[in-house]
Amino acid sequence: MSARPLVEYDAVDKSFGETQVLRSVDLQVEDGEVVVVVGPSGSGKSTLLRCANRLEEVQGGELRVAGDPVTGPDADVNRIRRRVGMVFQSFNLFPHMTAIENVAVGPERVLGCAREDAEQRAYDLLDRVGVADQATSHPEELSGGQQQRVAIARALAMDPQVMLFDEVTSALDPELVGEVLDVMRDLARDGMTMLVVTHEMGFAREVGDRIVLMSDGRIVEQAAPEPFFESPSTRRGQQFLSRLL
Amino acid sequence: MTDAYETDGTAESGGDGSLLMRDGLIRRAGELLSVGVLLLVIGAVGFIAVTQVNTELLTTVFPQFVEAFWLVVRIVAVASLLSVTLGVLVGLARISRSPVTGRIAKGYVEFFRGTPLLFQLFLIFFGVPRLWPAGSTNFPVADWAVPAAVIGLTLNHAAYVGEAIRGGIDAVPDGQMEAARSLGMSRVMALREIVLPQAWRNALAAIGNDQIILVKDTSLLTVIAVPEIMSVFRDVNSLRLDPWTPLVWVCLFYLAITLSMSQLVNALERRADPTGQSRRGQMAALLRRAGGRGDGE
Repeated sequence: MSARPLVEYDAVDKSFGETQVLRSVDLQVEDGEVVVVVGPSGSGKSTLLRCANRLEEVQGGELRVAGDPVTGPDADVNRIRRRVGMVFQSFNLFPHMTAIENVAVGPERVLGCAREDAEQRAYDLLDRVGVADQATSHPEELSGGQQQRVAIARALAMDPQVMLFDEVTSALDPELVGEVLDVMRDLARDGMTMLVVTHEMGFAREVGDRIVLMSDGRIVEQAAPEPFFESPSTRRGQQFLSRLL
Repeated sequence: MTDAYETDGTAESGGDGSLLMRDGLIRRAGELLSVGVLLLVIGAVGFIAVTQVNTELLTTVFPQFVEAFWLVVRIVAVASLLSVTLGVLVGLARISRSPVTGRIAKGYVEFFRGTPLLFQLFLIFFGVPRLWPAGSTNFPVADWAVPAAVIGLTLNHAAYVGEAIRGGIDAVPDGQMEAARSLGMSRVMALREIVLPQAWRNALAAIGNDQIILVKDTSLLTVIAVPEIMSVFRDVNSLRLDPWTPLVWVCLFYLAITLSMSQLVNALERRADPTGQSRRGQMAALLRRAGGRGDGE
């Protein structure tokens, strides 16, 4: 592995029409690092994530994953996306497929794996996230927590270098949040590089290597969890924390 | 249909006395009315059967109707397959990101939905052969009526199927395309593997509806000289001055096709419902694999 950051945002600008959502954002995520992005609603957290695999087009600046450009005419977007796993707030499992088919479809169709191998690996991944017994269930037969764990397995099946988590517990019943966070905690411990948008401050503090606070499309504070939560250095940081209490 | 809101009879003695508050009474009135209508219809049909229908003629004209019926079945089978296939392409063209493709598809839909099918049939049946350089006598297709009919029905219904497919695609949440693209699928692959199967399920009811209308639209083919069911009726009626006898066959033969068609659509809908499929085979294979792996380790 090179010493280069795995994900690099370099002065990234993004607007939806007249509204500017990201203002010259700089961010580096190192290999194996867990970066947790927090901030009030509408501060641009999700958009920041969605630019990393080009679900959103940026208007300015540069973005690289493992040194390869994500934006611009030279970017091979499908290749980038294979290396960047994404998990969504609303799961977005494919409802016409069983759990195991959801996980196997990427390797089979995109990477060209044999069906047997893809399903074998899918089964192992479902086992890893604890839903192997539901392998032949369809998403509508699963609880929210189970669906989200299948979605994590689906992203992992592509063997990504970095995983993006976009408020993945926000749509879950409170009692189901824990099982999803457990899977993410295990992933972090196994050294997965993760960029996580969440409102779960306990998780951010425990699992994050670095906390990034966004406000109005800007990164206003970056720090390790301990200093961030104990003694935020900026006024924005202090304000944000005081609202949490 | 029993649910928690069903009246139990006791509560109805109270209330403010308004007639519309009395569910039980209104249900009883509805039953009386519908049974009354049914009896009226049975009476009318019985009366007509006894006084109007000539059973001897019924047997005599049966073979003619059977022949017309099979012709209609063949036309419907071909036009149905072609219009659904073309309709899927039209639906895909409608959501194309190319403004050229999208607008052309939109124009196609507006034309074929916006003009009468009869006009379109005339255009193809009478109009097209005249375009041949030496006039319609040199038109290469000797019996143009049936091919013209199939082409007209196909082009017309592909417009409706296309709109149903487009609606079905629109109803698939954006997150599905995003999830597929984030796995590295191209847009075309994501459409084929992820979006279209779901759009198909969403659109099936509307497509089925349209295909039943296609069956009934074959009755228009009588005016372009296709010997279909209505034309047999016209022949028999004008020869024997007896409308009711052939009308019995017309009704039964159309229902035979449309009812089979709705059975087919129901079967397709059941098949498209993901949880409706049997998954015993899949589960067995998985268990075998998991078991085999366990032994190996």
